[in-house]
Amino acid sequence: MSIMPQQCGVRFDPPALVLTYHNHRGNLHRRTMPIRGFTKRSGITRTAESLVSNPRHRKYLENISRPQIEKLLRIIQEHMKGISLDETLGAIKMENTIDPDEDLNKLDDIALSRKKAIMDEDFEKNRKKPGDEGFEYEVEVDFLPAIETSGWDDQSDPEF
Amino acid sequence: MAETAPMDPENAKIDRENSVKIICLGDSAVGKSKLVERFLMDGYQPQQLSTYALTLFRYNTTVNSKEVVVDFWDTAGQERFSSMHPSYYHQAHCCILVFDITRKITYKNLPNWFKELREYRPSIPCICAANKIDVDYNVTKKAFNFAKKHNMPFYFVSASDGTNVVKLFRNAIKLATEYKENSTDFMDEVMRELDNFDELNLSSDSGLDTAPNSEEKDEKEA
Ligand SMILES: Nc1nc2c(ncn2[C@@H]2O[C@H](COP(=O)(O)OP(=O)(O)OP(=O)(O)O)[C@@H](O)[C@H]2O)c(=O)[nH]1
Ligand SMILES: [Mg+2]
Repeated sequence: MSIMPQQCGVRFDPPALVLTYHNHRGNLHRRTMPIRGFTKRSGITRTAESLVSNPRHRKYLENISRPQIEKLLRIIQEHMKGISLDETLGAIKMENTIDPDEDLNKLDDIALSRKKAIMDEDFEKNRKKPGDEGFEYEVEVDFLPAIETSGWDDQSDPEF
Repeated sequence: MAETAPMDPENAKIDRENSVKIICLGDSAVGKSKLVERFLMDGYQPQQLSTYALTLFRYNTTVNSKEVVVDFWDTAGQERFSSMHPSYYHQAHCCILVFDITRKITYKNLPNWFKELREYRPSIPCICAANKIDVDYNVTKKAFNFAKKHNMPFYFVSASDGTNVVKLFRNAIKLATEYKENSTDFMDEVMRELDNFDELNLSSDSGLDTAPNSEEKDEKEA
């Protein structure tokens, strides 16, 4: 028996994931999955892991992406810390986009690998690797001389 | 393609004569590692040192029908590794400075990398690489003055589709070899002296007397 998830949300207190779904007959249902022992300090990845591997919830969560589940857990946790929903959503959005002016040298390993995962989408999309049609080891292109400025050189800065 | 040899400290000394060291510098996530990997291709087992801070790749090739061993030092851009930079620069023969054409800040940071490098290696050849052009090929019509200002070769490259990656690294190897052959760099001379000195030291160390530390003794008597 399979279910069709419609929406997945949260309940703050006591903490739970709330799922609305259509069952195999097309009827709309709601399922509330309490997250036991979840605190300000719980690990998000571990909690998500134990939720999806819980035999009682597995069937309902298998079609919800892991990042989505982790995002919902994060929202609950930030709420426990007194941080508003808007603020949390803003922070999550920042983490999941590349800001061309953000200095990534200052990030820790986890935050940096999240940024790299986003970059990987373009990287993989444009990638030519051995075995792909038209792959060549040496790809040499001589580009014509520049016809416009990049706008990245600041005339007043002697370095550029 | 890539002829590879395992990193073996025994070989390191023998190889020193015909080996060059090339370092890749630039901000986090500009694609330094992806570029080296694209040049060397798969099946390559690098040596990873101190989790992500530094990866060493050894590559055997020939330049002007002479065999050359190339050590690529792929360094991490993260700030917390900045105390390691002096060891990256030490005895390098060429530097590839990379920025990401999708992120202006990585271009704006080039002078900082370059300035620091020059404190340790005042005259080694440098090449500037503008990476990720696959994201927007229009960028290749644009001028980036940093390289011209500092008199270095400049390449538009993509580690993703491979554009100009081999050309970039071949040129780096050529410049590194030429630099090493013609180097009159005072620092290099000093370094060579130090190397010899290290070797001498090592052999005399083995015969060193293990006399008890006199300070320690004083303390006990007091
Ligand atoms: N589209 C595109 N993406 C690239 C290219 N090269 C690298 N990337 C992406 O940029 C991300 C970072 O590349 P890395 O090679 O890890 O960057 P790095 O300079 O070694 O970063 P640090 O080691 O952290 O200093 C990768 O995860 C890729 O997704 C490229 O040529 N094109
Ligand atoms: Mg790297």
